[in-house]
Amino acid sequence: MTEEKKLSERIPIDFKGVIKTILNEPIPGHMKNWFYALGATPLVLFVFQVITGILLTFYYVPSPDLAYQSVKHITEEVRLGFWIRGLHRWGSNLMVIAIFLHMIRVFFTRAYRKPRELNWIIGVLMLITTLGLCFTGYSLIYNQLSYWATTVGTNMIKEIPILGDLFLRLLRGGEVVGINTLTRLFDLHIGFLPTFLFVLILLHIILVRLHGVSRLEGMEDDEVYGFYPEHVYHVAIIALFLLTVMSALTIILPPGIGEPADPNFTPLHIKPEWYFFAIYFILKYIPLKLGISLVILFLITMTFWPFIDEFLRKKYPTVKWHFIFGSIAIIIFLIFTVYETIVY
Amino acid sequence: MLKETRREFLEKLFVRGGLLSAGFLFIWNIAKYIYPKLSAPVFRKVVVAKLDEIKSGGAKEINFGGQLFYLVNVNGKYKVFSSTCTHLGCKVRWEVNNQRFFCPCHRGVFDKDGRVISGPPPRPLDEFKVEVDSKFIYIWIEEKQSGGMI
Amino acid sequence: MKNELKTQRVIIGVFSILLTVILVIIAGIEAKKTTEAKPVIEISGVNKRCVNCHIERGIAVKAIDQWKESQHAIKNIGCIDCHKAEKGDFDAFYCPDSDILVGRHPTPKDCAECHEQQVKEFAESKHAHQFWIIKNDDRAIFEPTIATRNGCEQCHNISIVWPDQSVGECDACHPKHTFSRAVARQPETCGECHIGPDHPHIEIYLESKHGNIFRAKEKYMNLNYSSKDLKKIPIEVPTCTTCHIDGNETQPSTHNVSARLAWESQSPWSYRTVWLEDKLGDWKIKRGRMESICKSCHSPDFVETYFLTADLANLQYNELRRTFVYWVKKLNKNGLIKDLEANGKKYSDVVLNGWDEEPEYLMYHAWHHEGRRFRHGAIMMGADYTQWHGIWDLQNDLIELIRWAAEHGDPEAKQWANSKHPSKFMPYAIYDIPGNAWGINPLANKIQFLYTNYNDYWDRIYQNVKYAYEKGLLSEKQWQLWLKRYNNKEHYLGTKYNVDSVYNYYLKLNSIDTKAMNEQVVNMQPPGKPFYQPGFGVMVEFNEKTRDLYLGEKKENLKTQNQKNE
Repeated sequence: MTEEKKLSERIPIDFKGVIKTILNEPIPGHMKNWFYALGATPLVLFVFQVITGILLTFYYVPSPDLAYQSVKHITEEVRLGFWIRGLHRWGSNLMVIAIFLHMIRVFFTRAYRKPRELNWIIGVLMLITTLGLCFTGYSLIYNQLSYWATTVGTNMIKEIPILGDLFLRLLRGGEVVGINTLTRLFDLHIGFLPTFLFVLILLHIILVRLHGVSRLEGMEDDEVYGFYPEHVYHVAIIALFLLTVMSALTIILPPGIGEPADPNFTPLHIKPEWYFFAIYFILKYIPLKLGISLVILFLITMTFWPFIDEFLRKKYPTVKWHFIFGSIAIIIFLIFTVYETIVY
Repeated sequence: MLKETRREFLEKLFVRGGLLSAGFLFIWNIAKYIYPKLSAPVFRKVVVAKLDEIKSGGAKEINFGGQLFYLVNVNGKYKVFSSTCTHLGCKVRWEVNNQRFFCPCHRGVFDKDGRVISGPPPRPLDEFKVEVDSKFIYIWIEEKQSGGMI
Repeated sequence: MKNELKTQRVIIGVFSILLTVILVIIAGIEAKKTTEAKPVIEISGVNKRCVNCHIERGIAVKAIDQWKESQHAIKNIGCIDCHKAEKGDFDAFYCPDSDILVGRHPTPKDCAECHEQQVKEFAESKHAHQFWIIKNDDRAIFEPTIATRNGCEQCHNISIVWPDQSVGECDACHPKHTFSRAVARQPETCGECHIGPDHPHIEIYLESKHGNIFRAKEKYMNLNYSSKDLKKIPIEVPTCTTCHIDGNETQPSTHNVSARLAWESQSPWSYRTVWLEDKLGDWKIKRGRMESICKSCHSPDFVETYFLTADLANLQYNELRRTFVYWVKKLNKNGLIKDLEANGKKYSDVVLNGWDEEPEYLMYHAWHHEGRRFRHGAIMMGADYTQWHGIWDLQNDLIELIRWAAEHGDPEAKQWANSKHPSKFMPYAIYDIPGNAWGINPLANKIQFLYTNYNDYWDRIYQNVKYAYEKGLLSEKQWQLWLKRYNNKEHYLGTKYNVDSVYNYYLKLNSIDTKAMNEQVVNMQPPGKPFYQPGFGVMVEFNEKTRDLYLGEKKENLKTQNQKNE
């Protein structure tokens, strides 16, 4: 008792109260469905990514001469390096999938409606940050895919009106993709973007807690239960399950290394990661400037969708706008992505 | 104290045991990842000179693996010394006229056996294992451990 | 609610057990990974300059990779250690844009700095013998030199005498820059030169049981082993080097291939080697060395009997040679064949070579090609080369020669040509040994003409073999072995065993075969008339006259057939 008193004098925070608030948050009954645990899933995966990412920095060297070699070293020679790298690789893929699913769930249950529009915007920012992390991440391997994806990706940034050139040079650290690019991408990947994402996660969760978990439309008076222990157990199961599955995947489908980067030779079939296939497809068949503008337009629409949705609903109350827009967006995304997967 | 049934106890044991073992293994594997593999050092012998190349009292500079060594013939016995002075790491020079090693940084002096004669060095020159057969003089060097990294 | 929570806790337990399992599997996979430590090759000092410049300029860069794989690299022997040169060396030059003086051709003198013993052994072998210069008639007269630069000159470069007085081409067998022992032991390495119609050694080896087993098992054999220090032979079946160079528990390995050879069987006459007798001992000692290698795998009885048989084959060759020499000398004396001559000097020798007259050609082939194939096939277990590419060709050469002489008027030859006696094909002294090295064959010695028609056959053989022994061409041990077989020849020849019942079975089957052959195809007449009339062997009209004309002896068979048909 005396220890507690000493501690509480020096750190005047009501720990017990804080813990009670966090753990006893009322959760609406609909959340018992596993589909609603998809918010915690990306968080769990983010934690795994941070842990495995830090572990990878023990052996990774961000220099064009040694990057590929160090990744090879980790995968082939470091004890359990293949496991850590595999976890990191699979974790990133699963995280993107989990975020997409979470977004779809939130979108189709209209959890973004007033007063939670800001949270939605933060969520979109988190999606973009995550995709940025993925992009900078696989560029660090410095194999052929990394090098040329970086080249193409940064070239696309050039197409942004007005500030494109500036961003390009900032990102590349020069005219061409080289040593500066690699160190900048490395800094982005392990420093700036994770911190930014962490802050966004914090804000996102705080806002959820402050607003309370949103009710489903039409089920406003559903029963409630405590966050702990049920939802916590859900998350624990998810965490264990994911860790098991990802570990298994490191053995069954281990991440490859590819060919070391060759600035003089672009391989015939260079494609970005699967989550960029849709954009890749658009940019292949639509003129560049128009394509970039379309992508930007789509991003803006997605960011401010809560307000757009509100506006449309006021005008045409009977039409389920979110269904229409959402389904179209998902179908188009799926078609483009599957097409790029199949076509070699 | 609340009574718990055997079933409840077993369930608790099962869950806690499972979590504990999973957690332990997880941490253990990560620890293995972090700690570099420490296998026993492997040695290999390399040729540095032919048997009658150096006369008694003579020395030969050997350049190997980016390091400099001195091979000295001390009354028919061959010794190989590192050229790094044991004081603060400068490279010593062999003075054939004085039959000694001289370090220019703080005037440390070693004799042809590597022992300190004068100056600040705290201990004799590092010696390497030498092997002699009917034709060659070898030194035993430690294999580089990494798989070619750096 | 409580139940749900409990279920959830249990599920947590289940998943954590699953996770444990997977983590154990992963740890297991990690533990099983084995990484072999490859020695890290250091390149320092002058060698670093060599390597850097060569890589920069792209000159022979693969040689650097080869070197890195070699034992030299592991032991820190670098470029300059072999390629060092002094001013005035015949091959010294400065590398372009540098002050490094290098020798273009590391010679055995350079190799001898570390490998003195091997260089010395090699220099004392016939691999270092300049015989091809001493007797270079094909190249000197018959073939344009440009045509032989990549031919004779390439293989015989193994015995090159360098301007610095050293002898030999060390990298002929263990090639630069890996200097790999495994390559040196590969039969095809020897086969680069020991090949072809005049010494088909690689072909003989591959025909032999040794070669056959080698081909079957070579992918399991590591030929990189060390043969020093009287170690046991680690491979299942010998390659060339196993018998001719490498050692075993009783023999040290040697680079002197002449140390284990007892015959000069490449020479026009087979004679016992006297090569460096003071250093290597006489032919018996040399044969003893070879036998002790054979006896690693084979029983002494087999080894000695096999060699005795092959030795007798070599001696037999000499007798054929004697006949050839007799004839060409006679023809030369009678002016029927001539030597080549210019400026009072002779450029051919009737008993050795000659390229423009049939008897010379036959005589040359008989020793240089057929004769060598016969002798080497006999001693290295290449049966086809002993027979069809050997004695068969040899005998045919001899008969051609005598027939040519007959056509050109020699009376002795004419008489031979007209003779109808089967013994005409062996107009020379005969050697023989009862039976062979690998078994008792009661049927193999029943039908020879000389066996069945001459009661004193074995007496004459005895005399010849004894004579060879007394002349020192067979050792005491060999003579005793021969005597053992001679004194028990009914056993070794198999003649004292009766296997007629089995033989008759095969005879019966054979007569069925013969009958079938006659019935099916010998006595048949395709109806479509040949376009060239009347055709050969073809009956235009089948009647009494044509039947007699064309069928002759088969008259009887046809009669019975016709009787059957009617």
